Amino acid sequence: MLFRKGRVLRATFGCNPNSSSLGVDVTFLLFGATFASALALVLGSLLHRPPDP
Amino acid sequence: MKLEVVRARAERFGGIVEVARPRALLHVDREMMRELGQPPSALWDSPAPADAPLVAPTEVHLVLSRRCAAGCTGCYVDATPQGPALSLEQARLVLDELAAMGVFHVALGGGEALELDYLFEVAAHARSVGITPNLTTSGLGLGAPQAARCRVFGQINVSVDGVGEGYRSARGFDGFAHAERALRLLRAVKQEVGVNCVVSRSSFDGLEEVARLVRTLRLNELELLRFKPVGRGARLDQELTPDQARRIYPLARRLMLRHRIRVKLDCSFAPMVFWHRPSARAAAFWGVQGCVAGDVLAAVAPEGDLLGCSFAGPAEADARVPGAIRAAWPGGFSSFRGFVRSAPEPCKSCEYLRLCRGGCRAVAAAHGAFSAPDPGCPRVQEWTARSAAEQKADTFALPVVRG
Repeated sequence: MLFRKGRVLRATFGCNPNSSSLGVDVTFLLFGATFASALALVLGSLLHRPPDP
Repeated sequence: MKLEVVRARAERFGGIVEVARPRALLHVDREMMRELGQPPSALWDSPAPADAPLVAPTEVHLVLSRRCAAGCTGCYVDATPQGPALSLEQARLVLDELAAMGVFHVALGGGEALELDYLFEVAAHARSVGITPNLTTSGLGLGAPQAARCRVFGQINVSVDGVGEGYRSARGFDGFAHAERALRLLRAVKQEVGVNCVVSRSSFDGLEEVARLVRTLRLNELELLRFKPVGRGARLDQELTPDQARRIYPLARRLMLRHRIRVKLDCSFAPMVFWHRPSARAAAFWGVQGCVAGDVLAAVAPEGDLLGCSFAGPAEADARVPGAIRAAWPGGFSSFRGFVRSAPEPCKSCEYLRLCRGGCRAVAAAHGAFSAPDPGCPRVQEWTARSAAEQKADTFALPVVRG
């Protein structure tokens, strides 16, 4: 499905091995809100449910 | 290209889905959950309150022990060679409960978790119940056979607070060669290997060298962790200076661009980032948040205490008792969760309050007031200085002469 009504609200990548939580991924924060909105659409369109067992 | 959902759990706003490649957690709305074929949830029957905590943490720090032979001068858990530890059976019980709650990741640490002969059994159990185990280690004593077994983990970070003499100065012993060897051994068997670097007043100037090491060894990330005056590190003279606090975010960006490495700042650095006024919408999307204790994050201490965070806060339950974590989660952690609602100035009027949440509670507690704004925040420092200046001006105001 290319376009969905549903939305991705937040994205965090990778795993945090630390005692304190991951606060800021500097890599992504360099990009602004427009990029985030576009990426939310792309991620939403790529998500798919796992095949039924 | 498709992103296959490997796990999902319902939340009031919709849900959180985990994808394995690339490894990510995505918050999605209710409509997307339905479109992904997730079963309807009773949580969706009423509107989602804006400030409700998650129905379970997404990550839990499992402090497996306070046992470590290294004796680092600033150890925040005050680890010793004979310190207490969670047993294998206790760790399994905790993991079972976390899995039932829908927790996605655990961070295994200590102490030195590799000193426990059942560490890999704990990690295998986490995998078997659907939780990704991640590890922080000093790397001391890690050999090739042990490194090969580390494939069971997701992300592994080795603590390197400086290169060469910088390491000795920060940790109190000369362990850099061991840490570097461990990084090479681990990198030879897996890609998700990085460096944890505690940023203190004295290690700040050595960050460039640490970043260079991350690039040279082709590691996948550099995580910069703010020094917290807790445990054996409970002294205030290693906190960042006001100037360093303002420079840390631009420095992290520079290191990322110069060395082409991924750089992360831990949650306690949020006030230092928001002072530079990044886009709040972008920050919210990328999950940039301050204190998420008792919301995104929880911790379990070796003595069984369930905490909002490994560094601070009261024990909410004995996590070793079956059902205790689940019972404590919905109504507990008020000391963390209540900050935004009752925030004092200057947090109250800060546009980033809902993201920053007042900065680090552990640092505030170390300065004597758990629920006060983070004293390391540049905005707080400016406000405090302005208030003091105004008070002084009032004191020395000339009397008004009438007539």
